[in-house]
Amino acid sequence: MPKIRTTRTKKPPEGYEEIESILDDYARKMRDAENESHEGKRKAESLWPIMQISHARSRYVYELYYKREAISKPLYDWLLKEGFADANLIAKWKKPGYEKLCCLRCIQTKDMNYQGSTCICRVPKAQVRSGTVVNCVHCGCRGCSSDS
Amino acid sequence: MPPKLDINKAGWEQSEFPVLCETCLGDNPFIRMSKQEFGRSCGTCARPFTVFRWNPGSGMRFKTTVICQTCAKIKNVCQTCLLDLEYGLPTQVRDTALGFVNEAPTSDINREYYAQNMEGKLDGNKSGLDTSKAQSAGKEMLKQLARTDPYYKRNRPKVCSFFVKGECTRGTECPYRHEKPVDNELAHQNIQDRYHGRNDPVARKILGAHAESQGLKPPEDQNITSLFLSSLSPDSTELSIRTQVLRSLPTVQPAELKSVVHVAKSRCAFVNFKERDTCERAAEAWANGLEIDGQRVAVKWGRSKASKPPTPVTSSVAVAS
Repeated sequence: MPKIRTTRTKKPPEGYEEIESILDDYARKMRDAENESHEGKRKAESLWPIMQISHARSRYVYELYYKREAISKPLYDWLLKEGFADANLIAKWKKPGYEKLCCLRCIQTKDMNYQGSTCICRVPKAQVRSGTVVNCVHCGCRGCSSDS
Repeated sequence: MPPKLDINKAGWEQSEFPVLCETCLGDNPFIRMSKQEFGRSCGTCARPFTVFRWNPGSGMRFKTTVICQTCAKIKNVCQTCLLDLEYGLPTQVRDTALGFVNEAPTSDINREYYAQNMEGKLDGNKSGLDTSKAQSAGKEMLKQLARTDPYYKRNRPKVCSFFVKGECTRGTECPYRHEKPVDNELAHQNIQDRYHGRNDPVARKILGAHAESQGLKPPEDQNITSLFLSSLSPDSTELSIRTQVLRSLPTVQPAELKSVVHVAKSRCAFVNFKERDTCERAAEAWANGLEIDGQRVAVKWGRSKASKPPTPVTSSVAVAS
């Protein structure tokens, strides 16, 4: 969640103006998701939209800097510091096998039913037993292994 | 401090393997179980116990243990389904057939104390149930009622609560059952009643159906509160009959028995109860007959007043009452 900007806060680094409208879009979407009613949803389901928007925004910042190289290092650092993207998640995306990771909870082995396992969404599509519906409880991910 | 060093936690259960029935384990011989120490309080004695959780096969729901091993061993039941391990029947059916007394206390602190005491007495994997002195008629009845093959339908997922409300958005992906829930007596069960064998709807259904199949259908006339015992042993006396009747019905207080009328000449007897309800329970328990003085006795319902059998019986009833 980005910090609130007032007149007393420091000015964002150069290049922020170009991506401001897209980040504002994400902020608006996030606010809508937060205000959405939980009625008719399962317990686990209510936080999925928020996780998904946060993931998409992190992904956007990550691609701007690492893939498209469209923003400067100071701006990227500032975006991370302000919470526009999840630095820990991005750190995982840089590692092989974790390129599409949906959220950090899905690789927390301690939270799982069986010791040392990860979330069902981390299983490669080819190895999932047929008939299994992949839809994880943490973020509603439908599969985030690198081959999917 | 690890729990076992704390005096208050010394009785907490730590176990390596659950006590389960074949049905609950599922059809796959290779299953993966998760174990959680002191994961939950026992459904009957409320002490923390080691919870096991596993999937009994594809398309089934995850099952967990709900009562502790001490409680399961005391009654010789499965930790998950609370059905008898030998016969796969509810405890109420088994206890009625074998004439066992339910001695476990039901108040909060007492049941914890009882479980703790029993834990010391049960050594190893021995069950707390002694079936050696049970009646052969009762055992035969259980054999008839018991299900021999595992019943995996019991492991199916629960009914989808969103589907019931008409708003399940998952469609065919939904792991829960999309069915209309049946709202009958069997839908209202609880762990305590099932474990202690009190007003268990499943047991009532099984016992009622069995009594009916043995020709002991409760008569329409609600005034009939007597059972007719025939082919008694020649050396039976009224006292021996009364003793055996009360012994085979531990839930019935002696005061609930109105009278026992023995007709020595025709080697039959009437057992009269005060309440119709007690009489029905007795008929269910004796569906396969009753053993008195080494002889298997046939049981029938008494007749209504209008078509009562000849004089000797009516006169003896009059004498007794």
